[in-house]
Amino acid sequence: MDFLQISQTAMMVIIGTIALALFGIFFGLVYKGIDRKLSAHMQGRIGPPIRQPFRDVVKLFTKENIVPENAIPWIFNLAPLVGLVATISILLYLPLGGFQPLFPGKGDLILILYLLIIPSLAMVIGGFSSGSPYATIGAQREMATMIAYEFPLAIIIITIAWRLSMQGVTNVFALSSIAATPVWNIAGPLGFIGFIILLLVLVIITPAELSKIPFDSPEAETEIAGGLLTEYSGRNLAMFYLTDGVKTVVMASLIVALFFPYNLSPLFGLESYPAFAVDIAFYLAKVFLVILFSVTLIRVAVARLKIDQIVYTYWVPLTLLSLVGLICIMWDQTIMANFGLQPVFEMLGIV
Amino acid sequence: MNVADLIALLLQHSPALIVAVPLLGAFITPLISRLNDKVRNVFVILTLGLTASLVFLLASDVFTGNIHTYIFGSQDLALPVVRILFEVDAMSAFMAIISVILSLVAVIYSWSFMKENTGLDKYYTLILLMTAGMLGMELTGDLFNFFVFLEITSISSAALVAFWTNKAKSVEAGFKYIVISTIGALFILFSIALFYGQYNALNMAMIASAIQYTFLDKIALVLLIAALAMKAGVVPMHMWLPDAYGKAPSSVTLILVGATQASLYGVFRVCFTIYGGAINLTPISVGWILVILGIITMLLGVAMAIIQTDFKRLIAFGAVAEIGYILLGIGTGLVVMLNPEMTATGLAAMKGGIFHIMNDALDVGLLFLVAGAIYYATKETSLNKLGGLARNMKYTTVFFIIGLLAISGMPPMNGFASKLLIYESTYQLNPILSIIAILSSIMLLAVFVKVFHAAFLGPALPKFENVKEVPKSMLIAMGTIATIIIIFGLFPELIINNIVEPAANALVNYGDYIREVIPSFAGGV
Amino acid sequence: MFTLESLLETFQTGSGFWNPIIWVVAILVAFLIAVILRGFGNKEYKKNTGQTQAFLSGNPEYEKEQMHIKSSNIYWGFTESLKWVFDSLKKMHTGNVSDYALWFVIVMAILFVVLIVGENLVGAI
Repeated sequence: MDFLQISQTAMMVIIGTIALALFGIFFGLVYKGIDRKLSAHMQGRIGPPIRQPFRDVVKLFTKENIVPENAIPWIFNLAPLVGLVATISILLYLPLGGFQPLFPGKGDLILILYLLIIPSLAMVIGGFSSGSPYATIGAQREMATMIAYEFPLAIIIITIAWRLSMQGVTNVFALSSIAATPVWNIAGPLGFIGFIILLLVLVIITPAELSKIPFDSPEAETEIAGGLLTEYSGRNLAMFYLTDGVKTVVMASLIVALFFPYNLSPLFGLESYPAFAVDIAFYLAKVFLVILFSVTLIRVAVARLKIDQIVYTYWVPLTLLSLVGLICIMWDQTIMANFGLQPVFEMLGIV
Repeated sequence: MNVADLIALLLQHSPALIVAVPLLGAFITPLISRLNDKVRNVFVILTLGLTASLVFLLASDVFTGNIHTYIFGSQDLALPVVRILFEVDAMSAFMAIISVILSLVAVIYSWSFMKENTGLDKYYTLILLMTAGMLGMELTGDLFNFFVFLEITSISSAALVAFWTNKAKSVEAGFKYIVISTIGALFILFSIALFYGQYNALNMAMIASAIQYTFLDKIALVLLIAALAMKAGVVPMHMWLPDAYGKAPSSVTLILVGATQASLYGVFRVCFTIYGGAINLTPISVGWILVILGIITMLLGVAMAIIQTDFKRLIAFGAVAEIGYILLGIGTGLVVMLNPEMTATGLAAMKGGIFHIMNDALDVGLLFLVAGAIYYATKETSLNKLGGLARNMKYTTVFFIIGLLAISGMPPMNGFASKLLIYESTYQLNPILSIIAILSSIMLLAVFVKVFHAAFLGPALPKFENVKEVPKSMLIAMGTIATIIIIFGLFPELIINNIVEPAANALVNYGDYIREVIPSFAGGV
Repeated sequence: MFTLESLLETFQTGSGFWNPIIWVVAILVAFLIAVILRGFGNKEYKKNTGQTQAFLSGNPEYEKEQMHIKSSNIYWGFTESLKWVFDSLKKMHTGNVSDYALWFVIVMAILFVVLIVGENLVGAI
């Protein structure tokens, strides 16, 4: 590797990060607007216009940026930035718009799992550092929620990787390998059921990852006044608002990459620019559907859980459910071999 | 004589010198102490600095693939027992690097941390003795000699744990430590007797080449694993560890981490080298025992850490959990050692486990030093009484954040690299292993975020208004470890290739270790 | 040994990879973007007024000691829903050195059963 290559890679990182940051922030806010509009319609309200989140950000930027006297200023101001920065960096490793990830061989699923922790961690530390009792309570709830959902989430990620490794795929933790071998294509009947269970669990994990109802007890406006965001205002709050938007895109793209890595262009036999256009549109539609089912529908349909109920929900029913999924997938190959079964998609003649 | 010859000579005698320098230094320290306190501190730091450079010199040669032996006593190998043999392979050198770094940082830290105490001549003597003991355990090739060094380490660390004799709890912790160590050491001695009775040998390589895996050998294996695992703080025999770690002065705790890992090294040396030839004779793999112990250690360690309210006790439980990762990684390597299809997995797991030994020592060590700094500044260890210290102690806060991220394995710290290796290899043995490892890691994050809140964040408390940043020597000590953590985190591939992989290969290719003493040995290829 | 290439190498685990340097560069760029974005915002507030007091739903602020939530109250929801686990764990840690030795004997007995009795059983089958 010579100097030229290094500088090329460096330019790619710099330009890529800028482009992905703008992409993430823009679509994060757009999807936020769509989500608000849809949930308003579901509740029989008119709801704000779709560009409302952009206006909200502008509004927050004009507001005063209060640093409370009990806060530790440098941590209090740094936490929102760290959250946004870490979330943007996840986009580097995710396949977006039907393309390969920007850096396919430089980061894998476990890295994404860890980077997803950082925005929540930044909120927790920001909440703790504001020195307000409400914020502290919210922050410790967020941390407890994080431990809670990380158990089923780890099961899902490891199960997918394990199944691919049984298939003889190399670099099973790379999202590009997962995209190249969609799990549905290799699953037999039992495994198919297992993956449906895992998808279901992942859909229920998403609202907690994004602090949405019913798992928003860390923020719980009605009881602890916004929880860990209580003391935040102005541009610091705007940073958290943007983080939330980008994280929604990241989480939805992750689900798309793990479970729906299909593209439309091969179906129509398209190439070059038309193919890109179709794939990007299809990707945006997939992300929209994921957000619709895992965020909008759930948050409109149910009420908020208490924090001990959240921990119980994730550690007992959902963990057991995902373990059932894991066992189904582990037995899948044996059963397929013993009864001479084909993967479900081959039986249906789709692949 | 030119410099190259001198270095070659030093290299040749370094296995002996590495133990002899701190040992002699220990006995000179009380004399120098009579002169002046500062002179003594400088002398101790120089002694350990010299030891460290010898270790690095030896390690740089050993990592290229050479195994060094050093014979005390009869050079005639036909005579069975009349010698003590030091044998240094890459694993020994790797462990020696960790021990010597920890000791060196601890004495630098002690300069200010222990300044107000009396009896420091004894303190430094014991620290040097303990370092000599640890290094001896790691470099020796003789089982009885291993026991002797284990006892030296135990006795000096028990005295150091109880160093603050004006505190009843420190003395109690020291007492518990010596009881537990003695019980463990007795069983180790018993198993050495079992070997000697059967094979008429005390040398590890000789025993390993002759081992038949008889009934007595099985009993010896059980005793050795149980006793050494207890000394390493493996659940459920970990209970002495939070007591000892929690009540010892922080600088001592740092070296205790090294002593614990020296015992852990004993477990691996026994399983891989001594029983290496017998491993294909067992239908139930010893590796699975290590893996299961590792999983229990991990889960129970973090669960207990979450409910602790004492700063150092909490870190101690975190340290217990970290031991679990090491056992999981290396145990997985042992399970799949004979399975040719999974060689790559096994090697990756071993590399992860061995890298994690280093990372565990650095991360846990840094956190203990931070806890010590807070104790130094506030005279308080209960998390319920601390708060708001990030205003007064900025550097310490930054070091704590680095330690927090490293121990919970967040990128880009060193803990992430080793944990990544462990997750991405153990899942092939069984997916549940990786899942539990990831979960424990997140819980560790939660544990230390709680500490961050309790000690550093929150409103400025009036009682800590006059608290100041700790003196420079303590900052230098913490800064050194923090720098190593970040460097290891940013260049993991470099570290793995140059020092971790040779160590992993040294454990896996146990035949080379034996052949260095018994050239006719044919197994273990 | 320490060439530029070896410093930039991607860390390979056999099943995945991780390149810290690229991530760090990306983080720096993203940090710059975030700081610039944040710079558009209003950075003023009224120091030492009621504005900077902690929000307590209109109640007056307590003493500083009471405003700091104690660490034993943190993670209440987590410890509450897994109470049985933590209670039994606490019961296990007696702090009594004879119990410590007892655990050692128990582990030794289990290892003995697994490695010697179990092995003979497996061998017999």
